[in-house]
Amino acid sequence: MKRMQCPLNGLRNISEFVYGGQVTTMPNPATCTDKQWAHYVFYEDNDIGVMREWWLHAPSGYWFIAERHNASDEIVRTYDASECFSSRVDFSASETAS
Amino acid sequence: MRGRPYELPIAQPPRLPCRYPCSHRVRCAPGSLTLSDLSLQRRSGLRGSDVPDWLVQQGLPRVDTPNRIEAAGEQQWVMALSKREFWMLDGNQTALEERPASVAVTPNAWPLYCQHSHVWWHLSGDDRAALMAKLCGVDLSEAVFPVGHVAQTQMARISVIVAHHDWQGVAGFSLFLDQSLAAYAWSALEDAMQEFGAC
Repeated sequence: MKRMQCPLNGLRNISEFVYGGQVTTMPNPATCTDKQWAHYVFYEDNDIGVMREWWLHAPSGYWFIAERHNASDEIVRTYDASECFSSRVDFSASETAS
Repeated sequence: MRGRPYELPIAQPPRLPCRYPCSHRVRCAPGSLTLSDLSLQRRSGLRGSDVPDWLVQQGLPRVDTPNRIEAAGEQQWVMALSKREFWMLDGNQTALEERPASVAVTPNAWPLYCQHSHVWWHLSGDDRAALMAKLCGVDLSEAVFPVGHVAQTQMARISVIVAHHDWQGVAGFSLFLDQSLAAYAWSALEDAMQEFGAC
């Protein structure tokens, strides 16, 4: 069985993990167009190469980032999301109402 | 032949309404393994960046390393599941009947519903690591998983938290898993115990 290094829990069987999509830059929800937001939410680039991806370790509910080659399935590195995201993004009621 | 705990009717309903017929009945295998149901004992959880400081304010140990469990008194423990999520286990008191409040204890410390979502079992005996090796992909032998360690992993293909600590002076694994899967998990453990001479 394939295995993946979880930054919190260590080396685990791949069956304990769930893929969560590519890591992409979130546009400003207050200023972006609906098309830009839809592209961020629903679309992926579908390139071949080493990608930054969200992965979930399901038993612990822990989301982290993995750099993985999506053709060879080689996992280059895994790390805590705090390496990329240092601040919390809050959405005001007016921004999420529409 | 003794019946399986999860199929027996409950003569005296426990004070805590349960979604499955749990009780303090014990399934034992003399001399090798003992599986006890501690689900009616108290446990609570908190998540948030302020929780470590809050624990210290309450006189509880500050567990800085994730996936560790430390004694907080006689039959009491603090279990760190991450740097921001902690469970408090209290084997001296019965479970709270009411649901935890949905408001923060402090600005960044939120209660978790682990009492109502997870069963608490305890597996002891010299063969406990060998038994778990049949069901779990993580090596839980004493050499790599000593007392004080916690593993969040899968057992019989379902998510489980395994905490290695003493219970009434006997080292063993506390198992926490979703209540809705309790009957399946109990039967899987019983089935695996047969190899070790379970009664």
